[in-house]
Amino acid sequence: MNNQHIISVFDEEDKLLSAIHKVQEKGIKITEIYTPYPINEAIEAMGKKSRFTLAAFLFGFAGAVGVLAFLMYTAVFDWPINYGGKPTNAFPSFIVVTIVLTILTITLASLFTFSVRAKVYPGKSFVLPDNRSMDDKFIIVFNREENKDNPLDLIGLLREEGATEIYQKELQPLI
Amino acid sequence: MYKTEVRGSLIHGNKNFHQISSDIIAPIDQPIPLWWKAAFGVSLLALLYGVIAIYITITVGIGTWGVNNSVAWGWEIINFVWWIGIGHAGTAFSIFLLILRQKWRTSINRAAEAMTVVAVGCAALFPGIHMGRIWLAFYIFPYPNTRGPLWVNYNSPLFWDFIAISAYLLISASFWYFGMVPDFATIRDRTTSKIKKAVYGFFAFGWTGSTKEWLRYESLSYVLGGIAAVLVVSVHSIVSTDFASSVIPGWHTTVFPPYFVVGAIFSGFAMVMTLMIIIRKLYKFQDYITNSHLNAIAKILVFISLIMGTAYATEIFIAWYSGSEYEMFTFFKNRITGDYAFQFWAMVICNAFIPQLFWFKRVRKSLTMAFIISIFINIGMWYERFNIIVTSLSKDYLPSSWTTYNPTWVEIGFYIGTLGMFAAGVLLFFKYIPMIAISEVKGVLKATTLNPTDNKISHHE
Repeated sequence: MNNQHIISVFDEEDKLLSAIHKVQEKGIKITEIYTPYPINEAIEAMGKKSRFTLAAFLFGFAGAVGVLAFLMYTAVFDWPINYGGKPTNAFPSFIVVTIVLTILTITLASLFTFSVRAKVYPGKSFVLPDNRSMDDKFIIVFNREENKDNPLDLIGLLREEGATEIYQKELQPLI
Repeated sequence: MYKTEVRGSLIHGNKNFHQISSDIIAPIDQPIPLWWKAAFGVSLLALLYGVIAIYITITVGIGTWGVNNSVAWGWEIINFVWWIGIGHAGTAFSIFLLILRQKWRTSINRAAEAMTVVAVGCAALFPGIHMGRIWLAFYIFPYPNTRGPLWVNYNSPLFWDFIAISAYLLISASFWYFGMVPDFATIRDRTTSKIKKAVYGFFAFGWTGSTKEWLRYESLSYVLGGIAAVLVVSVHSIVSTDFASSVIPGWHTTVFPPYFVVGAIFSGFAMVMTLMIIIRKLYKFQDYITNSHLNAIAKILVFISLIMGTAYATEIFIAWYSGSEYEMFTFFKNRITGDYAFQFWAMVICNAFIPQLFWFKRVRKSLTMAFIISIFINIGMWYERFNIIVTSLSKDYLPSSWTTYNPTWVEIGFYIGTLGMFAAGVLLFFKYIPMIAISEVKGVLKATTLNPTDNKISHHE
């Protein structure tokens, strides 16, 4: 069964990080790391990068252009109203609404992107290898199938690095 | 950067991660205490009074209020600005201190954000009902309509205000919620109760704490932090343009936007201080909300108080320096002296003088004194809004339209109702949501704890 995984549990951040480095030096592939709080080194070790700032900039650009275009269209072209003889294209008055709605667009679009990219949404069925990972344990998960040739080497290495528990588990999605 | 060698451990009591989770989740697992039930009962009563007042206002009309043709903005706008000001602290706390990487914010930001969301909700009620015919409130949305289509007036600060408040409410609520997702997962994974597992599990959105999630979580929090910082400044600047873009003496000044923003942060931080002292006392969180945390808030308050004093002095100086007799009259005959001298001096004393006591270490260290001063600031900030609105409107350019203003019981009821709504909201927060951001406190624990056996301090961000 290729859903079998080796779960190693660490009590401390330092030991987790040292184990990650040692394991990766040996060329062993880590499936995922679970930590109670964000640890940049662990995120970097997984080789993941986020292009969130670029996405946010694009949302902001689209938002700003869209809002300004809407204001111009409605106030200048669709139904120009004379407010005490002021010009209908009162551009400086549009700036405030544009800024605020641009920020709103960035926020809502970024949250939506986060939800889609990190796969965090209501009613999601999720895989939780060890239910102490959001409390006080640091978990490294390895695929059993990928390490079928040398499981004992891996377990020995993890023990050496201070893993407090190592066990095998079939990962099932939870509702 | 938090210098642990200088400032000592941020979290006291040599906590480990498991203890942090247990301590912070404890109020959710424990049975509801008696004081909570009593306080919730009282706040519901206050809320009921408010609901009755709102019902009368809507069914009978704005005529049930004490506002008149001259003083057309009464308690409703005072209270609206007051609540919005209080609602500034959450974002100021989370966002500014997040960007400045102030680690001490982690114990406080959750409660400050909760307070923001409830306070902005209270604030939003006032202009909505003040519009008079609330069933036509949707007219303010620019949507294709059958009236032309007739679009809204984008040149009006009142429209900017509507956009700013709605956006602020949405953004602060989503920022707050997004920060709670990992903590809901902690509750979900620890609890043995099936109901709690289902409820908190639903709100945790399937969060597991994998690097894939944390990576995006961190990126998103900095993106949101960066752009929402603009919002903290813009929202109250826009509220100030409701006043400053008019031609009323005492309002028509360029100092208004910064003066309002600083005032808002001032009242918000004071309310955070009030709330944190209550939380610390009632839930025995002194290991998390330490004296050093309250000390930091007190130092910010004394600094902002100086800015407030400078702003008051600037207004008076400019009134004299402008040579405008109307400005002179408003400031010297109708604020410093005259019918509203009490409200003016209450504002100056509560905001500019009393917080100066925080210069003394003994005052900063005394919880009772800090609590009393924070209440004085909240009262002082209410008087500031009274001063701005009522003094300027009561005596305008035409002496024949001069009048006084007194609130009716309906207006007072509306205000008390929002106080009840605020208290009830905060109490629900105490009971059902982790009051301190668990994962954030864990994240800074190592870097901010003095380890006697190890002199090497880690600087993990």
